[in-house]
Amino acid sequence: MFCNKTIMITMKRLKIVALMAVLGFFASVVSVKAQDPAEGEQIFKNNCTSCHAATDEVVIGPGLKGIGQRRPIDWLVKWVHNPQAVIASGDKYAVDLFNKYNKTQMSAFPSLSEGQIKSVVAYIDAQAAAAPAPAADGAAPAAGAAPAEGSSNGGMMQYIMVALLLIMVLVLIALLSIVSSLSKLASISPDAAEAQNVPLLKRLAENGKKLAANSAFKTGAALLITLLIGKATIDAAYGVGIHQGYAPEQPIQFSHKLHAGQYQINCNYCHTGVYKGKGANIPSANICMNCHNSIKRESPEIQKIYRSLEKDEPIQWVRVHNLPDLAYFNHSQHTNVGGLECSNCHGDIAKMEVVQQRSTLTMGWCIDCHRKTDVNTKGNAYYDKLVELHSKDHKEPLKVQNIGGLECSKCHY
Amino acid sequence: MFTNKTKGLLLTGIVALAMTSCGDKHNDSGTEFAPNMYHSVGYEPLSQTDGDTNTINPHGMNMRLPVKGTVPRKYYGQEAKSDSIDGDLLQMELISRNIKSGDMASSEALLTNPYEPTESNLEAGKAQYERFCMHCHGETGKGDGAVAKMYKGVPVYSSDALKTLNDGHIYHTITHGKGRMWAHGSQISSADRWKIVLYVHQLQQQ
Repeated sequence: MFCNKTIMITMKRLKIVALMAVLGFFASVVSVKAQDPAEGEQIFKNNCTSCHAATDEVVIGPGLKGIGQRRPIDWLVKWVHNPQAVIASGDKYAVDLFNKYNKTQMSAFPSLSEGQIKSVVAYIDAQAAAAPAPAADGAAPAAGAAPAEGSSNGGMMQYIMVALLLIMVLVLIALLSIVSSLSKLASISPDAAEAQNVPLLKRLAENGKKLAANSAFKTGAALLITLLIGKATIDAAYGVGIHQGYAPEQPIQFSHKLHAGQYQINCNYCHTGVYKGKGANIPSANICMNCHNSIKRESPEIQKIYRSLEKDEPIQWVRVHNLPDLAYFNHSQHTNVGGLECSNCHGDIAKMEVVQQRSTLTMGWCIDCHRKTDVNTKGNAYYDKLVELHSKDHKEPLKVQNIGGLECSKCHY
Repeated sequence: MFTNKTKGLLLTGIVALAMTSCGDKHNDSGTEFAPNMYHSVGYEPLSQTDGDTNTINPHGMNMRLPVKGTVPRKYYGQEAKSDSIDGDLLQMELISRNIKSGDMASSEALLTNPYEPTESNLEAGKAQYERFCMHCHGETGKGDGAVAKMYKGVPVYSSDALKTLNDGHIYHTITHGKGRMWAHGSQISSADRWKIVLYVHQLQQQ
């Protein structure tokens, strides 16, 4: 009996020891995991980056670099679980923080465990330690890329230099001929004995008269004047009513290349009417402010937006595409129904620093497209009957001209 | 090689070209053939004509804001009954317009999406998302759009804090903004906002 009892007790002890060992093992695993920067990175990116940076940069809340040294971990856990309660408890640091960041309340994250918060701190510390290294790595490829870019530029430069040289030679010839004719004009006829005493103006007048009497010079001058007038007339005639190449200076030096190109902001984000209405719309200042409430605030160009908002005065952008009132055009018909891209008519806006009218916007240009373009009939029940009728007599797909795209009254009424 | 005559001809040609080819034309819209047919007699929005500015409205503008408290024509005479999608939309519109911009809790509690997550609605939502959201929130809602790198503070839809947000919360965020994001209600129609909400729900699961 006694023997049995001692065995049972030892068994019990063993069990407890084993349990403790298992628990201890788990605890150690958890604690290892708790300090895991990789896990911390995941949590940080999913939950914190919208307001905090791992550096000392302020995003919405403070930068978290060195947060582990700045605040004790117990405080951090309490804060992350319920910041409102910490502020309400009158904790001085918390209240100061709250006031410093415009009384913006941090979201509570009660679901994060203490271990997870420690991991995040470990990740931030690891980031701080690793920060200088990637910068050095980044510098090397940039330096390597520079010469390549330079050489590609070099090819272009050569062409420009050759073209410039050609122009210089032509200018030189023109200048030389002018000099020779002018020196002829001012020259002294060798047979005049007292030539030296004749004043320059008189000499010029005499020589001019002689030159005017010269029939070759007369035809030359007449030819030049005719050519000049002719070219000016042709230029002006071709330009009547056509604004192609019009790139007016705008009140704010807005770059489509930066916004639509580099930052890939969709045209529709600012031109809100382009899929819905006749006009594409020019954005009001509140749309600019969606980003420029914090981006490039010091730039004098951006300050113009702020001034406009403060005074409640619209920014007077200069309209680039002025289709005459005699022709009706609707954006939504072309973009939403027809499925055309903006660049089909406006050119590669995403590469334009200053927007320019690329297409001629003449009637011939419209008609040409209406002849060539297939109607976007897919998934649009409106066209079903038309397509059916059309395909009875024609093999080619339905073009815009087949549904009245060349009718005068479609656009002129 | 050249006779004097051809030399002279060439020279005059070059001089004529040089004198007419260069000019600062980028600020000039050119000659108009029939200005009275080009410029609208009626007031067109955004039209801009020299010497023809609107003398009635402030700043010579043709467009004006609608009078406060007026109802858009498309809602005229419609009832907020929930037997059609338009009725549902109107009902949500009436509720959401009475919720203040700071009152996220009411939006969460009162607003539900009038659209079903059908394939075509999701596709439409995706198209709108790509036009209005993607440059910041990224293609899959990971907050990695081209603008986000500059603007900073763009969250991940699928994060623990965001993945369970409901219709009303997302709709309120688009309409009035939240945190660093500013209000986008003026740019996107309410119907399109609801379609974006559908698509954002899909991204929350990714």
